[in-house]
Amino acid sequence: MRYEPRITQMNTHTDQISKSRRSFLGLLPLGVLAGVFASIGGAAFRFLRPRLSAPSEQWLDVAALSELQGPQPLAKKIVAEQISGWAVTTDEHNIFVLPQKNNQVLSTICPHAGCEVSWEQSTNRFACPCHDSYFTADGSRISGPSPRGLDALPTRVQDGKLQVQYRVKEDGETHA
Amino acid sequence: MNTPVSNHRSNGLSVWLQTTGGVVGVLLLVQFLTGILLAFYYVPSVDHAHTTVSYIEKVVSSGSWLRSLHHYGSQWLALFVFLHVVRLFFDKSYGDRRIGWVAAVVMLGLVMAAAGTGYTLPWDARAFFSARVAEGLMSGLPFVGRNARFWVLGGNEISTITLSRFFAVHVLIMPFAIIGVIVWRFRSCVSWANLNRNTIAGGVVFVALAIWCAKFPAPLGPPVEAMTADYLPRPGAQFLWLYQLLKYVPGGLGSIAGVVLPGLAVGILVVLPWLGARMRKPIGGAVLAGLVLTVTTMTFFAYMSDLHTREQLARQATEETKWRTEPFNPQLLQSAQRESQTSGSTGGPPEMYQKFCVNCHGPRGEGAQQGTLRFPPLLDVAAKPRRTTEDIVALLKDPTAYGLQPPMRSFSDKLTEEQMREIAAWVVQLKR
Repeated sequence: MRYEPRITQMNTHTDQISKSRRSFLGLLPLGVLAGVFASIGGAAFRFLRPRLSAPSEQWLDVAALSELQGPQPLAKKIVAEQISGWAVTTDEHNIFVLPQKNNQVLSTICPHAGCEVSWEQSTNRFACPCHDSYFTADGSRISGPSPRGLDALPTRVQDGKLQVQYRVKEDGETHA
Repeated sequence: MNTPVSNHRSNGLSVWLQTTGGVVGVLLLVQFLTGILLAFYYVPSVDHAHTTVSYIEKVVSSGSWLRSLHHYGSQWLALFVFLHVVRLFFDKSYGDRRIGWVAAVVMLGLVMAAAGTGYTLPWDARAFFSARVAEGLMSGLPFVGRNARFWVLGGNEISTITLSRFFAVHVLIMPFAIIGVIVWRFRSCVSWANLNRNTIAGGVVFVALAIWCAKFPAPLGPPVEAMTADYLPRPGAQFLWLYQLLKYVPGGLGSIAGVVLPGLAVGILVVLPWLGARMRKPIGGAVLAGLVLTVTTMTFFAYMSDLHTREQLARQATEETKWRTEPFNPQLLQSAQRESQTSGSTGGPPEMYQKFCVNCHGPRGEGAQQGTLRFPPLLDVAAKPRRTTEDIVALLKDPTAYGLQPPMRSFSDKLTEEQMREIAAWVVQLKR
């Protein structure tokens, strides 16, 4: 009983020490969890970051020059290879060749919202079925919400054949 | 219910022995996080599994490290769950903290099942053999063997359906079951008495695992179709004991040794708390001692017996290292519609090709897969030695003379010389 005051004093002292130790140690589990999440999270960011597929430099056959005749745009199909991550896919795209304009090739993707335009024989113009954009026979914009005319694709002539490069830009629009 | 984890041991080392739960918790967290990430690229089909895993290994940033964490983490997890069970046994948890005990034992079973199903997913040579072993273990089960095999494979034989089943069990059923066990365990009794030491131990083990995985990528064998006859498949460390054990057990008894006995051991440990108070310790001790003895001796023997085959294993390791340095080749995906169009551009296949060859070699000579059989593509075949038009005609008459094996057969009785020549002429011009 004689020693009681001293013991109480000591207890208060150790209590204070262990309190501050406890509040520090209380953060420890959080710290370890944060460490695990941070290291895997950092790797996860690099792991999940999307990869841009390089624009295809491939020249794709459209048709022999001898076939490309006539006053009107000619609808053609090309098959382009696209590398998406671990897979190579072959995607079919529609294009228009303009024999009257030195065989210029137009993408059929409407620059407005990405629908495919078609050739209207009766009115002699391209029409977008989605939002009523119209384009002349050489692809320039007539009316509607499209910000510009139809995009032209790079072309060349090789061994008597018209060839085209089909590119997809980062923002998803065709060609440069 | 709030019994402190440790009330009778508080000195130095023994307190740290109480931290197995924390390590298991951190390792489980790592498995969940890395597993979710791997699912962003992995495709569970025999056509794409190996390609997508290769892509993760070779192309995706940090992919190799994250996959290695998942691979080796699963092995460390099995070890630490087992140590946790042993530790709880010495604490006599089966007596006063039944739910903690049962949860740990069930967790051991779930972790092994998750590892077993996950092992098949990369669909490399190892994975294929592990599916074969699972098939064998199931079919040897007494009474239910035939049906067990049928249900596990999802059909008569190992196929892409089998892979889908293993995938679904691995990524849906096992994680939910594991989360269920964790929730059940922590609802009954939570003790935060030793939390700091648990997290420190978990953190230390995580750092060790992270460094290990940065040094050692998870193994990936050759794809099943590129596997050579001398390939030696070896399972992950947590299954080496089973692999070695099956060498000593004849035929159908393998299922008893590999499935029934371990199942029985886990079953006995689960019901341990409800056995007579005097029987718990000797029975549980005997089962655990049996497990420890079997696993350690068999694993040791497995490593020892591989000393005889170390040359072949070293060759495989060298090939794997070489494969890692080769650039990744994306895989060509084509729809049937496109195939017919492209074949049109090179000139369609001859009529007789359509009749006799197309089922195995594909409409464009791109090869095909039927069940576990892979038929080689014919594209670029002319670039190989002994594959001129003349050679192919001769090969169609007598495939064995060209080193080909069944199911490739002689077509002397089906095709005329002219038809063979027509097919050969078409085949040599096929290009990738």
